[in-house]
Amino acid sequence: MTRLARALGPVPWLLPAVALIGLVVLWPVVVLFKTSFQNISPDGFVNGWAGLGNFRALFAEPALLSVVLRTVVWVVVVVAITMVLGLMLAQLFNVEFPGRKAARWALIAPWAASVMMTSLIFRWALDYTSGPINILLKDLGIVHSLGTNQTDWLGRPVAAFIWMMGVAVLVSLPFTIYALLAGLQTIPADLYEAARVDGADSWRMYRSITLPLLRPAFTVALLINVINIFNSFPIIWEMTRGQPGSSTSTTTTFMFQLKQAFIGESASMSVLNFAMVIVIVLVFLKVTRWKEQVN
Amino acid sequence: MKRTLIGATAIVAVGTMALSGCGGSSSTSSGKSGGTTTLKLVAADYGTGPANTSSKYWASVADAFHKANPTITVNVQVVTWANFDTTVQTMVQNKQYPDITEGDYFSNYAQQGLLYPASKVLSNPGNLLPAFKAQGSYKGVQYGMPFTTSSRTLFYNKKLFKKAGIMSAPKTWADIQTDASKIKALGDTGFGLPLGSEEGQAEALLWMLGNGGGYQNSSGKYTINSPQNIQTFQFLKKLVAAGDTEPNPANKMRTDQWQQFAQGKVGMINGSPALVPIIESAKVLKDSDWTSVPIAGKNGPLTKTLGVSDNVAAFKTDGTKAAAIKKFLDFTYQDTYQLKFDKEYDLLPATTSAAKALASDPIFGPFLTALPHSIQYPSDTAWAQVKTNIQQNIGTAVTGDPKTVLDSIQAKASAN
Amino acid sequence: MTDITAGTSEPVLATGTSGRAQKRARPPRKPRRPLRPRTLFAAVAAYLVAIIFIVPYLDMFVTAMRPINELQQPNILPHHWTWSNFSTIWSTGFGASFRVSLEVAAGSTVLVLLVALPAAYYTARKQFRGRSVFLLLVLVTQMFQPPAMLVGIYKEFLSFNLLNTVFSLILVNAGFNLAFAVWILNAYFSSIPVELEDAAMVDGTSRLGALVRITLPLALPGVVTALIFSFIAAWNEFIVALTLNTTPNTQPLTVNINGYIGQYQIDWGHLFAGSVIATVPVIILFAIIEGKVVSGLTAGSVK
Repeated sequence: MTRLARALGPVPWLLPAVALIGLVVLWPVVVLFKTSFQNISPDGFVNGWAGLGNFRALFAEPALLSVVLRTVVWVVVVVAITMVLGLMLAQLFNVEFPGRKAARWALIAPWAASVMMTSLIFRWALDYTSGPINILLKDLGIVHSLGTNQTDWLGRPVAAFIWMMGVAVLVSLPFTIYALLAGLQTIPADLYEAARVDGADSWRMYRSITLPLLRPAFTVALLINVINIFNSFPIIWEMTRGQPGSSTSTTTTFMFQLKQAFIGESASMSVLNFAMVIVIVLVFLKVTRWKEQVN
Repeated sequence: MKRTLIGATAIVAVGTMALSGCGGSSSTSSGKSGGTTTLKLVAADYGTGPANTSSKYWASVADAFHKANPTITVNVQVVTWANFDTTVQTMVQNKQYPDITEGDYFSNYAQQGLLYPASKVLSNPGNLLPAFKAQGSYKGVQYGMPFTTSSRTLFYNKKLFKKAGIMSAPKTWADIQTDASKIKALGDTGFGLPLGSEEGQAEALLWMLGNGGGYQNSSGKYTINSPQNIQTFQFLKKLVAAGDTEPNPANKMRTDQWQQFAQGKVGMINGSPALVPIIESAKVLKDSDWTSVPIAGKNGPLTKTLGVSDNVAAFKTDGTKAAAIKKFLDFTYQDTYQLKFDKEYDLLPATTSAAKALASDPIFGPFLTALPHSIQYPSDTAWAQVKTNIQQNIGTAVTGDPKTVLDSIQAKASAN
Repeated sequence: MTDITAGTSEPVLATGTSGRAQKRARPPRKPRRPLRPRTLFAAVAAYLVAIIFIVPYLDMFVTAMRPINELQQPNILPHHWTWSNFSTIWSTGFGASFRVSLEVAAGSTVLVLLVALPAAYYTARKQFRGRSVFLLLVLVTQMFQPPAMLVGIYKEFLSFNLLNTVFSLILVNAGFNLAFAVWILNAYFSSIPVELEDAAMVDGTSRLGALVRITLPLALPGVVTALIFSFIAAWNEFIVALTLNTTPNTQPLTVNINGYIGQYQIDWGHLFAGSVIATVPVIILFAIIEGKVVSGLTAGSVK
């Protein structure tokens, strides 16, 4: 085999994938960077270059800092709760019990339904006058009367944000649980046997066998969750529009708010988002020593 | 009816237009063959379902027109409201211009010379309601022709009023305050105040008008943080704090509040004719249970209210179809078709003659008397951005400090 | 233990029964320990969790069955039940959207597998220059999601003159779901001992034959996982479809359903009826495929 043939070897195998990624993912990124330096009218006409004007306008937004900080809270809290609950639930659903198959089926519901639909269900269920959740809370005596500030969860920024984080956890759990369940099944049962012979209790076995061996599956689920939660759009959009003001917005929904009329500025928000994604990727690569692993 | 698009549509519609304005082939078919002319009409869908889709309305108009003018065929494409902007903008981007659009009107198309002035495609442009002329004009020439309009009035629930022992319709802010607190005592919402992004710019303006304020002064300068406007929001803030409105109006949507009113749970709300079918379909309030009156102002009812219009625009395409378009628009703007449209969708006419014909209608009368004196949204190029900013932030003026919020909206508006 | 930690990309999500391709990881089924109370506790807890997961969607169903004049009544269950939302929705172009959704989801899933399988196989089997660059590219793609890039995507398909086509949605969905597929398939191929293929080749099978007869069946759980993942993602995709396709007969279900959020009112009944109908195919797919994984695994033990 000549050097050239060897160098070209991968081409037929990889070219379709590279072409598709280039066409659908990378090209739009380039367009977006360009847009962030353009001066664009609200109905889409390009009026020349804006230099750094869009970025200057973005950084002058009084809401920007709080939106960025809120995004960090959103990602960290949602992902942390998802992973912890995911570990617990994967363990639970790994136990053999009658009807397990049906119970596992129920778990996929939030995954099978689109996130947009799930968000709308919760917007409906949290309606302050007649949402089923509020009716239930009233029947339980937790809230006193319908149609009040107390039942208006989505009208109060902090309460709304907590509910939306809950929805985000719910829609992230199915994938997480299944990923971890798959991970659990790769752990040889004889390891547990051996440990039991040595007199280890369950907690100790969990810590020294399950958790370390679950690491690969855990890492994958973690990464996918971080990315999905960071980019999550429908939950906040359908439930509060990021309002009042921008007080329940994350960077993704904030970008959409801007996009209604401030297209260039919105593109620069996207660029800022990319920068944050790159940072997350770098941290991920560092933490998981990814490069060593693929080789 | 510049509706606020729900879902991500607006954003996407506009956002996706960040294009260099080129692309696509410029194949403008002349639409002429064998002495006949074909007109392409793109219209927004006002229907709520297949039963009353605007396709039906336009098909009947186009058929009748074709019978009268066999050499001209009108092809109608009806697009849902949510997609109207994107559809038209995409066509323009691709230079596949429609001949006529009915729905939102884009002033920059006039600016770019793509449109016929009204005087070229209508025999009697003077019959169009003059109140909407400025909004469709560029440099003093009218391009956007109002086709259907609506104005805002104050709806109130007579049943709740009676139950609360209120004898007369609210006329002043003080009335609103006392009436709302009486209704609140019954366990219902006194005043429905949707200040969320969906329609916050309309609600805010209606209140500003009540105190002699508004978005712009007479010379077209933005005056969002004028003392009158600040005072208005200080009043609203008090109203909200007293619990006389729904909880947390800052992010409440109009759709939800109208629904609440239709369910009989709200005492008063600002509405347009579009609220009428919602009340009817909810089947909770009888016709005698509610009514609509001029909007209450600080010291008395408004003499001028917010009026909005959807417009017809005629594209030049290859420049040969002006005569055909004129024939069709003259036909369409007849009172018969104006009234048919308005009856079907609970909207108001856009011509003086049709408005006169409808003036005695018990439901539409109050809206119509308000129409000729109506105030419009600003029509300058900055408005799109100002509006977005108002929709996003105006609600916080009743939770935070009114002056600070209005100052910051004004700062962004005058920066343009 | 090192061989297990070696893949960040150990097969994830291998569905209920078993995610293992390796022989070593198949222990003999042990008789249940007499820990009855504990199993019972687990079962009860699991049922409770399952109910919490399913209840929101039951409420979606209940709301779809509510007559419009009962929509705002403060009871959790309606007094009357009606199927009318489910029947009337079909007269609104819902069927056409259903077909579009099916075409987009199926088309993009096929495209993803066609493109991802060779790439994943090659990177799993060969060391070559540019391999880690390629895998990094794939990883980075996973980070970028359509919401951030709509402007660019729209402009691109406008210039290709592919707006209002099903094909454009197939392309975009395939592009954004490719990364996960490559990733998971790469992991699966890596976990299948190359010796199995070599042995088959000694018996006179070609490399391609070995790949198709030996490796692919063993990698079936991975293929199925990639398949479900891209199908569900494409089926539920909303924003891109909303942006690229404005004509009703090219809009998938998600966009169609969103149309019930109107200018003046939200038609919750039809909105949720449509959502229920849209969710069912995904659940059925999941049901069918879970069984296939098991049989695929058994059939895959060509030894």
